[in-house]
Amino acid sequence: MHLGMVIDLKRCVGCQACTVACKSENGTPPEVLFTKVLEQVAGEYPIIKKKFIPVLCNHCEDAPCVRVCPTGATHKREDGIVLVDHQKCIGCRACYVACPYKNRIFLQKGSLKKGYFGKQLTPFEQVKYPKWQEGVVVKCTFCVERVDQGLDPACVQTCPADARVFGDLSNPESKVSRLIRQRGGYQPLSEDNTEPSVYYLE
Amino acid sequence: MPLVASEFVSGFRLQTEWATLIAAAFFFGKIGAGLFLMSLFTGSWLGALLGLLIVLIGKGGAHLLYLGRPERFWRGLTKPGTSWVARGFWAMLIMMVAGAIFLALPPGSAGWWIAEVIAGISAFIVAIYDGFLLNASPSIPLWNTAMMPVLCLFYSLLGGTSLTLFLINFGLATVRIQEAFLSHMEIVLLITNLIAVGLYLISMTHATAAARKSLQLLVGGTYAVPFYGLAIGVGLVFTLLMAYFVGVAGGPGVVGLITAADLVGHYFIFFLLLRVGVYKPVLGQLTI
Repeated sequence: MHLGMVIDLKRCVGCQACTVACKSENGTPPEVLFTKVLEQVAGEYPIIKKKFIPVLCNHCEDAPCVRVCPTGATHKREDGIVLVDHQKCIGCRACYVACPYKNRIFLQKGSLKKGYFGKQLTPFEQVKYPKWQEGVVVKCTFCVERVDQGLDPACVQTCPADARVFGDLSNPESKVSRLIRQRGGYQPLSEDNTEPSVYYLE
Repeated sequence: MPLVASEFVSGFRLQTEWATLIAAAFFFGKIGAGLFLMSLFTGSWLGALLGLLIVLIGKGGAHLLYLGRPERFWRGLTKPGTSWVARGFWAMLIMMVAGAIFLALPPGSAGWWIAEVIAGISAFIVAIYDGFLLNASPSIPLWNTAMMPVLCLFYSLLGGTSLTLFLINFGLATVRIQEAFLSHMEIVLLITNLIAVGLYLISMTHATAAARKSLQLLVGGTYAVPFYGLAIGVGLVFTLLMAYFVGVAGGPGVVGLITAADLVGHYFIFFLLLRVGVYKPVLGQLTI
């Protein structure tokens, strides 16, 4: 099995519902976003073109972050999901710098001491924060706890435009494989030979 | 397409994670390893000891200060098979152990020779591995070039030569090589470094858009003043002119000035190369 995601840029409306769903699912501290929607604008008024690009960890087949990690904290599961073992991470940020997509976040010292409403953590933050550690690198896990239960990642589940599709890339009959085949799905920065598991459709 | 600061806008982005402390670690690693290698060449016991201490305290200390979880630093030895961070850590460790044995044993003994060879090889790796570490990142095209290890090697040898001359002129070390030879070697290395930096920058003009964006920042943008003033002006041109026209004949004061200028340039060139690292836009440039 090789899990991956297809993102249809024609469907994405830039509502950031995926961003919020991800934060809600993972309970990440302020300024830590595992997924977000970027805007890209070209041209000058009145001839303007705007594109929304949802981004997240691409769980690359040949992930530079896995290669450069000196401790083995960043590792890849059998199903292709790239994870960080927070107990092993030393916070050297070699992976952060090596990721061509800049989709890794370093949890600074003190980042878990304050929440969205100041130093007093909300009950939600009090429940979610214990799973994080300061001084380590964190990133999107494809909502691995949900995937292990047979569910889609939170961003896929919540997308109102069905712009995100999650599935098995190794199965030629899966929806993701068919979309890539029929619509000419392409990988971001394919010239870097990282073989991302996230494909985009135009 | 301009550099973007907003987190929600696609475009070229500056690398911000590796800066002052990593530049300091690279700097101390290179001058320490360079001094150690030059001390093996010139037979300076004190130089070798200082080289080891610079790497241990300077480089090791900067890395420890930088780590998010310094108490787990030993885990950095785990994956030398694929990680240049781990390889560099191993090289540092071997250099420390073999270097200490080399300094402790009586010169000429079998153990002394073996320790010298092992320490020399590991010091060479410490001197150049930063270049491979940067080269291994496909994310930042400015660093993703085979010129990086070459730059590291030449800067390391230059730093080592300058510091050896400094030690000799301040009466702190006696060497088996003539001072004039070292002085000429310093001039040759300064010219070599100028050429290497020039070639590196020229190669970047033909590289990808992100590399050219980095280059613009370095030679014509925010970082142009420290680049021309400190990295090139003070670090290479002033040092070269002083070394060529005055050199060791000017006495310890001049040699001290040359060494200080060389070290300032050495720190700033790698600091600036780290600061101007630019990531590519995720899906390239949008056109109408």
